[in-house]
Amino acid sequence: MLDVGRHPNIALLAYSEVEKVDGQAGDFKVTVRRKRRYVDEDKCTGCGACAEKCPTMVPDAFNEGLGSRSAIYSYFAQGIPSTHTIDPDFCRQLNGKKCGICKKVCQADAINFDQEDRIMDLSVGAIIIAVGYDVFDPSQIPEYRYREIQNVVTAIEFERLLSASGPTEGHLDRPSDRAVEAEIAGFEKNLKKSKRTLEKLEKKHDEASAQFYDKYQQGQYQDDEDRKKWADRYAAYLTVTKSLNDLKNKAESFSVAKRLAFIQCVGSRDFRFYPFCSGYCCMHSIKEAIIAHEHEPETTSTIFGMDIRAVSKGFEEYKIRGGNHSNITYVRGRVAEITEGPGDNPVVIYEDTQKRLVESQEFDMVILATACAPTKGIVELTKVFGVELDEYNFIRTSPFSPVDTTIPGIFVCGCAESPMDVPESVAQASSAAERAAEIAIPLKSEKEKAVA
Amino acid sequence: MAGVSRLQYTPEIKTVRIMCTGRIDPAMVARAFQKGLDGLMVVGCYFGDCHYISGNVQAKAKIDMTRKLFKYIGVNEERLAFRQCSSGEASVFVKLVTEFDEKIRDLGPLGGDGDRVKAPEIFGKLKAAEAVLAGEKIRWVMGKRTPFLETGNMYGEIFTEHEFNRAIDMIIVEEIEVQEILAKLKEGARSVKDLAGDLAIPSERIFRYITALKRKGMVALDNVTDRSPIFQLVPQEV
Amino acid sequence: MPENNDQDIRIGVFICHCGSNIAGYLDMEALSDYAQTLPNVTFVQRNLYSCSEGGINEIKKGVEEQDLNRVVVASCTPRTHEPLFRSSCEEAGLNPYLFEMVNIRDQCSWVHMREKEDGTAKAKDLIRMGVAKAALLEPQESITSDVCARALVIGGGLAGMTASTALARRGYEVVLVEKEENLGGMLRRLHKLGPTMTDASDLMEEKIQEIVQHAKITVFTQSRVTAVQGFIGKFEADIETQSGVKKIDIGVILMATGGRAFVPEGLYGYDGQRVITQLEMEKLLNNGLDSDIKNVVMIQCVGSRNQERPYCSRICCQIAVKNAILTKDQIPDASVSILYRDMQMYGVENEEMFRDSKAKGVRYIHYDPARPPQTESDQVRVYHSLLGREMALPTDLVVLSTPLVAPEDAGITSQILRVPVDENGFFLEGHVKLKPLDFATDGIFLCGSARFPANIREVIAQGLGAASRASIPMSKGSVVVEPIISVLADEDACRGCGLCVALCPYGALEIRHTEKGRKVHVIDVACKGCGVCAATCYQHALTINSYTDQQLQAQIDAFLIDDI
Repeated sequence: MLDVGRHPNIALLAYSEVEKVDGQAGDFKVTVRRKRRYVDEDKCTGCGACAEKCPTMVPDAFNEGLGSRSAIYSYFAQGIPSTHTIDPDFCRQLNGKKCGICKKVCQADAINFDQEDRIMDLSVGAIIIAVGYDVFDPSQIPEYRYREIQNVVTAIEFERLLSASGPTEGHLDRPSDRAVEAEIAGFEKNLKKSKRTLEKLEKKHDEASAQFYDKYQQGQYQDDEDRKKWADRYAAYLTVTKSLNDLKNKAESFSVAKRLAFIQCVGSRDFRFYPFCSGYCCMHSIKEAIIAHEHEPETTSTIFGMDIRAVSKGFEEYKIRGGNHSNITYVRGRVAEITEGPGDNPVVIYEDTQKRLVESQEFDMVILATACAPTKGIVELTKVFGVELDEYNFIRTSPFSPVDTTIPGIFVCGCAESPMDVPESVAQASSAAERAAEIAIPLKSEKEKAVA
Repeated sequence: MAGVSRLQYTPEIKTVRIMCTGRIDPAMVARAFQKGLDGLMVVGCYFGDCHYISGNVQAKAKIDMTRKLFKYIGVNEERLAFRQCSSGEASVFVKLVTEFDEKIRDLGPLGGDGDRVKAPEIFGKLKAAEAVLAGEKIRWVMGKRTPFLETGNMYGEIFTEHEFNRAIDMIIVEEIEVQEILAKLKEGARSVKDLAGDLAIPSERIFRYITALKRKGMVALDNVTDRSPIFQLVPQEV
Repeated sequence: MPENNDQDIRIGVFICHCGSNIAGYLDMEALSDYAQTLPNVTFVQRNLYSCSEGGINEIKKGVEEQDLNRVVVASCTPRTHEPLFRSSCEEAGLNPYLFEMVNIRDQCSWVHMREKEDGTAKAKDLIRMGVAKAALLEPQESITSDVCARALVIGGGLAGMTASTALARRGYEVVLVEKEENLGGMLRRLHKLGPTMTDASDLMEEKIQEIVQHAKITVFTQSRVTAVQGFIGKFEADIETQSGVKKIDIGVILMATGGRAFVPEGLYGYDGQRVITQLEMEKLLNNGLDSDIKNVVMIQCVGSRNQERPYCSRICCQIAVKNAILTKDQIPDASVSILYRDMQMYGVENEEMFRDSKAKGVRYIHYDPARPPQTESDQVRVYHSLLGREMALPTDLVVLSTPLVAPEDAGITSQILRVPVDENGFFLEGHVKLKPLDFATDGIFLCGSARFPANIREVIAQGLGAASRASIPMSKGSVVVEPIISVLADEDACRGCGLCVALCPYGALEIRHTEKGRKVHVIDVACKGCGVCAATCYQHALTINSYTDQQLQAQIDAFLIDDI
């Protein structure tokens, strides 16, 4: 990423969209909309002082909504460019409220609430489409109860939980436990506030709330409106305190997730959704299970899959190592259903095809290895370019020209073409660069190229 | 990354930038301790993820060896650590730094309660250590470590890690003892028996070292007193 | 620290406020006052943003007006800003390597936000350390070396042919070396290619035609590369051809030596007649299957995913499914069963082909490697793990899916090019994830099954990709290397023992015979400056520019001076 940002031959137009493409191979005219960030790219130094002071917190998309960020933000800490962006849906100033704190703290004077979208025209010789993919939304599969059972998460959400720079700093705190902890924090804040109110009332009436409340319940002060309010407040305070204590008792038994289930082919190899194999998910699950085990040696993982497809260099060996050293059990079979058991534990119901038995097993957390879905908006985007899609909405290519789209001069690489893993994407990106260079870089004269 | 994430850690830690942990020279490490350093943590990439391919493997081996040497000379080897984290793992880095800081605080200043040998004697030991680590023998053997473990020595014998480490242990003892003899002789000519008494090393071993040093032209016979030969240091050209 | 030339050293220290990112948490005035007191420092200035145009101009002005010959900027991280400050120094007429950066933001203000005093004290330490090192910095010149615009491609199979034609289309000369009599490699022995069922010979002929017709490509068949010397941009290869050894100058090398199908001698009654390999099956299919073949059983993972060869050869399942479909096409009423462990039909096209095969009636039977199938004279017995019982499948033909293994001469090639192979004998790329088509050694690239078994689509993509990677230095015409590399600082000390040569991860060191005897030579364009050699050399003959023992020691010593 840093290389892209720094390379003198790369003009990086982040936060921009292609609106129109005319022309042909060797001579394309491309219209690009540079969306307004409300921050001047040339002035912003990416220092982050604005984000620190911004009073509006919103769910953090980079952390799959598991954490929070401010309304002025950079997508993630190492992001390139480091230019910040104001989220117009949440920014107070842009929604008519009084704020503008970011403008005040920005010493580079980069904040511009009046910025508009800009249209840019580019002349290029070749085009490479590398728009990637989307994670399949598993809530479409009713039997897996994603979003209903809190401790059922997607592989990419799990990735954020495992990440040292993620919302839990790499501790496998379960979503249900994190929710309880958030609730506790909310109650505590609440209690602090009502305590202050009660203290004021106590001062006013010169009496402790508990004493007063005893008397009140015995029937005193029934006509005193002010005291009635006090009593209500105190009653509410007691209720919240009780709930808080209950939650705290519950939270005492929380520990990190140690029994993990990984479910393969969630949305892939499934005729209801995507019949294809997404290719990388088997290895992704194995990797996550191995890392989870590295974090906490008591972790055990069960990977439920039809075939475990570990086909790239070193993958089969990695898979076996996971089984031998990282407490991974591979179960051959498709999971039929996930239900919720005691203690927010998901229960996986499956047929073990090797034992020919229908079994159920309780886990601390279930991770869904979701399909590689063609990215949203790909249909509109490819209309702009005029390139054809295949029946699943991946960009059509042929095995003999693996990065050529149906339009000469327009190439594709990565998961926009079909699901693939990192080394394959990297290799394909070079292939696309090669094909593009053949068109975009005019041959120098024979004399210049001749070898001395 | 710790900075970008604004994760806080102790200001006691100062950093020296090097391009790769492969640059870590054990002699430099001993020198830094001798000059008053209390703890050194080398933080490299994870194995297999080294930006410079295998620099971290070499660094780990060198640090492991230096720790053995430290232990032998009475410096608490916990003062020297090799740890790994990736550039994206801010919280891991902070955890490593914090733990190391606590460890060093527990140990106290170099040559205090935390170490077997106390100041100021410990600085003399570290001086000997620096000479050993800058010296030919241990550097040559460490340099041969990878070939020895992977392709074998000139006779095709492949060493196990255990065998190699045992060899290193022996070399450390010998090399330190030689440095101590040289340091003593620097104070003045002595007999084998005197040296054995001063350094608490058996006289057979001292005799062996002296013979070897004589061969290399580093010590010479000074005179014979009471029928025991007295040896002196031969000044070396720099 | 050499005291002799202290008089000449004039260090300027520029301390950046980074808006309030630094200034908000550290005592800036104390820092600049302190910097003034440091040895050799003749000028100190504070800037709101050193990296802004104004800040850069201040640095330039400082160099020019204050006659500074070393610059220290105490600001943010060199990761993002070192190149900018270096080039600013250069613009002001100062050698860019007389610049040192101190990170008082990421290492002080941002991580010690609640400890202003301690944070400031640490920033002072870091500045003192930077200044101490800066005083010892030496000017360096970046290293430029020309790149010969000719590529050597080793291997004339699909990968090598694809890479060759791509490079030729870009206008580069290509020398293609093939050990067999004809180009084509494995394609020559295949029937139809999945998933499109295109004739392999069609693809091969098309590629060969393109090669033969291209003026830029010189082909040597029945030839071998026997020696390679030099480094990126300036390699020299010896090619043993039918008409003697040719010496050729080249700029880059592409490895496309492919793989070889494992021959399962002694496994499952392999006899090449009734029990054959998939590669032999290709030939049968090409000639047309005998119509009385009614029962075909294919067995997967023969000789792979076992103790001896633990890897999965990636493409054998696709080949089996493809050949099963072709068998059904030729003899629709034949029974075709595939005995498998995991069907590795990854991706979109493969899974599609897998489904098609089932629709055509190919049977799939899972077997447990602990209870492998047994081949008998006219049947295969297998424990059907889903049904939980043993079954017997009648056979007229048993086809064994064997892995692709590294060619026999991979070891020799690896020695000639000084590039590594992995535990399975395949060539080892520079980084498994991020540099799949590069070797760690600059100027040498790889593609196709020489790296790891790959199907047609993958081989072509890698061939194009490796060509792209290889074209970069040729297109630039030269390689420019940052001079932070190893140097033989003390030639007399070097004994030419070769200890460092064996440890260098980049093959950047070699022993040369000089007038003074055997001495190490640093191939400067190949060196990346990791420092392993300098940290190992027992003669302390090697060092790293800008990270010399003296410079690092000065930095450490400056930290240990307790004078605050």
